[in-house]
Amino acid sequence: MMIRVLNPTSESVVATLNPAPRLTGLKGKTVGLISNGKEGTDGFFSHIERLLRERYQVAEVVLRIKSNYSAPAEGEIIEEARSWDLAISGLGD
Amino acid sequence: MKTASNAMTDSLKSQYFDLDDVGDAQEFYHSRGWTDGFPIVPPTPEAVQACLDWVNMPANELIGIEPVRERSIEAEKLAINAVMAGCLPAHFPVVVSAWMAMLKDEFLLHGATASTGGCAILVILNGSIRQEIGTRSDFNVLGSSDRATSVIGRAIRLALINILQVSPGAIDRSTLGHPGKISYCIAEDEEGSGWPSLAESRDIPKEASAVTVFAAGAPRQIMNEWTRKPEEILDTYAAEMRANLRNYSIWSGNYVVIMPPQHREHMRVAGWKRKEIANYLFEKARIKRSEWSTVGKGSVVRDKGDTEYCALSSPEHLLLVAAGGPAGGFGAVIPPWLGAKSQAVTVAIGACIDCEPSIPN
Repeated sequence: MMIRVLNPTSESVVATLNPAPRLTGLKGKTVGLISNGKEGTDGFFSHIERLLRERYQVAEVVLRIKSNYSAPAEGEIIEEARSWDLAISGLGD
Repeated sequence: MKTASNAMTDSLKSQYFDLDDVGDAQEFYHSRGWTDGFPIVPPTPEAVQACLDWVNMPANELIGIEPVRERSIEAEKLAINAVMAGCLPAHFPVVVSAWMAMLKDEFLLHGATASTGGCAILVILNGSIRQEIGTRSDFNVLGSSDRATSVIGRAIRLALINILQVSPGAIDRSTLGHPGKISYCIAEDEEGSGWPSLAESRDIPKEASAVTVFAAGAPRQIMNEWTRKPEEILDTYAAEMRANLRNYSIWSGNYVVIMPPQHREHMRVAGWKRKEIANYLFEKARIKRSEWSTVGKGSVVRDKGDTEYCALSSPEHLLLVAAGGPAGGFGAVIPPWLGAKSQAVTVAIGACIDCEPSIPN
């Protein structure tokens, strides 16, 4: 006998976000690093910063650390990110 | 197989599928990643509607919104997953209330379900609904103690998988996880405790049924059958809490302690109730950061070796639950996933959280 059953998933179509315009280069740019603050992030982001400065000649590197590594970045960090040319977010552990 | 954009009732809006039989349905759901690996009860429109009718909710009732990914949770989808888990309509109010609690900001649902830490969502029931749906709080309480708690716990997980994409490797990034991620629901032995219930201790009126949700690690079982002194019994629980501070996470948060009848009887004779137990564990479950060096974590002690860390930042953070079979000095400590950054939430079942508060005379 045929049975009728229902779809258990959300089915909702989530609006996709448009990516920011791509940069053509990093030289002279301001790069923000958003760290989750875990133990391994010190080495990870300091290495990234060194690479950005030495290899790619970025003008400035800004490091911001979330207060809760399992929650989104605070609003003020997101707001500040508007002034950056590029943001890098990583786990680092 | 026939599909269409909505079900055959007027109110249900989910996509439906016409399948050959129950066996066909099993493979259909498994093949789409819509199960936890166990067989499911096929969610027919009739069964789903019965759950909605039981809670008197329209299908599109908004249960809440997951705050981080901003995904709405509607009653119809919860009901579909509850039926799949094996829930009867009478179980559904607990599932709805648990989700309302989980969607509170302080629970940090996205983090709790995505974290490499691999916690599960422990659901603790209080009030008359425990008897109404046939829960048991005695033998094998942390295992398959009864139908109701088994299927309610499973419904929580299936809804996470299907509504919020919390599948392993998708949103769920757990390194290990634990068996509670299949089902993790218990009911408190209120009649056998001699204490106010857990929900009462968390400001829920005695007359109300309630659900407490907690982002929880696996249970750590302890045993002490060789003393009748409350202090010595609790020293064993405190030692397990200290072990968690050393071995897992040093941050304070809610801790569940499951205390069986054998231990509770010694507490009763000595006149120890919730307050005395919580105060004792608050004082005893502490370590110095330097103790990390005894478990291979010396590299992060640094200059804070003398700093003291409490498992409980206050006695009120203890979630003491009376449960367990009649014999045996076995208890359990269930630690938090992420200290105080994810907090246990207790809500009354059937309470209208959006209603205006009554105006005092």
